[in-house]
Amino acid sequence: MLIRIEKGSAVPISSQIAEQIATLCASGKLVSGDRLPSVRELARELAVNQNTILRVYERMVREGLLEMRHGQGTFVAEDVGGLTRTAHRKRLTEELRQVARQGVGLGLDADDLHELLSAALEQVQRLSKSKIEVTK
Amino acid sequence: MSAFAIEFQGVCKSFRRQEVLRGTTMQVEKGKTFAFLGRNGAGKTTAIGLMMGLLKRDAGEIRVLNLDPATQAIEVRRRVGYLAEDQTMYGWMRCEEILRFMAPFYPTWDHQLALKYAKDFEVPLATRIKHLSKGQNVRLGLVLALAHRPELVILDDPALGLDPIMRKQFNRDLITHLQGEGRTVFYSSHLLYEVEPVADEVAILDHGQIVRHAETEDLRREVKQISLSREAAGMLAQQAKILDERPDGNDVAIIVEEAPAVIQALEQEGVEHRVVNLNLDEIFEAYVAGNKSDLAAMQRIAGPCEVTS
Repeated sequence: MLIRIEKGSAVPISSQIAEQIATLCASGKLVSGDRLPSVRELARELAVNQNTILRVYERMVREGLLEMRHGQGTFVAEDVGGLTRTAHRKRLTEELRQVARQGVGLGLDADDLHELLSAALEQVQRLSKSKIEVTK
Repeated sequence: MSAFAIEFQGVCKSFRRQEVLRGTTMQVEKGKTFAFLGRNGAGKTTAIGLMMGLLKRDAGEIRVLNLDPATQAIEVRRRVGYLAEDQTMYGWMRCEEILRFMAPFYPTWDHQLALKYAKDFEVPLATRIKHLSKGQNVRLGLVLALAHRPELVILDDPALGLDPIMRKQFNRDLITHLQGEGRTVFYSSHLLYEVEPVADEVAILDHGQIVRHAETEDLRREVKQISLSREAAGMLAQQAKILDERPDGNDVAIIVEEAPAVIQALEQEGVEHRVVNLNLDEIFEAYVAGNKSDLAAMQRIAGPCEVTS
């Protein structure tokens, strides 16, 4: 499980870790039943306070993304797909809202913004297609 | 048994006519990693000197591991791992010699651990202390502070002489060896982005007083910047504590201490506003160098209210 901490960011470290674990679940890099590193291991790996990691795990257990099995450790919960999708929709909506706000601030109208999003989407699709061709 | 490893109650300390600590009050819970933040000259090193019994306080109470450092300094120093800001050691000794020299002073000295730290922190054991670089000197001091497995560690700016790789290694050691074993760590630092991942709690010392003491995460949650119209900010100034205020186009951007409550109030009133999350550096700056001119003046006119100097 590869997690990257950005120091000095305005995003609190606990949120950075939680978001990245949620992303790993959503992208299928972590699947239901996978065991996560112990609090101690992850704290050491990231050089982050153990209580911070513990709180992240506990919060994600409450949200239903992870589950703690007594004496065995922390695991990705069953049926995690639906939950992560909801969480990601929420996060994306927030990010898009910020982009929209910036666009409006720059004097762009709805058409301009739609056009930019379509262009970006096209670019991403083209890239992933060429990647698939290369792997073939 | 006190639940606190360190307690300060109304501590005052002056040097001649220079007041350094002015009624400093704080408590450090056992088992916590506590970061002590402040600008140069805020009084951090003085506070640490008082904890270690190196200085005498003028007024107030201090307890370190339930001992009074003013009268039980030897016992405090035996039980606390201490790294001074400008640690001076016998220059003619080799590093390896000072490790053996220090061992008998501490009943709990672990020489294997001392050698392990020396290796981790890349301390050249065969070199004489007077030939060490500044960074090597700090690292040797750290080895000496940690090798007797103290229950409380007091470090005056330990990150100062460490490069980024060693800082990460040091943070890891702090997390696994000190936090992991439930020991208390009290350290001062300037590098706030290094403090954030590690510290349970932070206290900000400014002009000899603690202006904020909070869990690191709470501080991030509670102190935020909000942009809103000047009129709305003026209204807010009467209810909320504003740490910093600066123009944002036609609006004004203020940093407030109780952001969740303020945001809720603004939403209820339907006041247009924009919230910006701050990093620890910005929060620190707001407390110790915040620009409070206009609105703070309004606050004073508006009536009684706490304004930190």
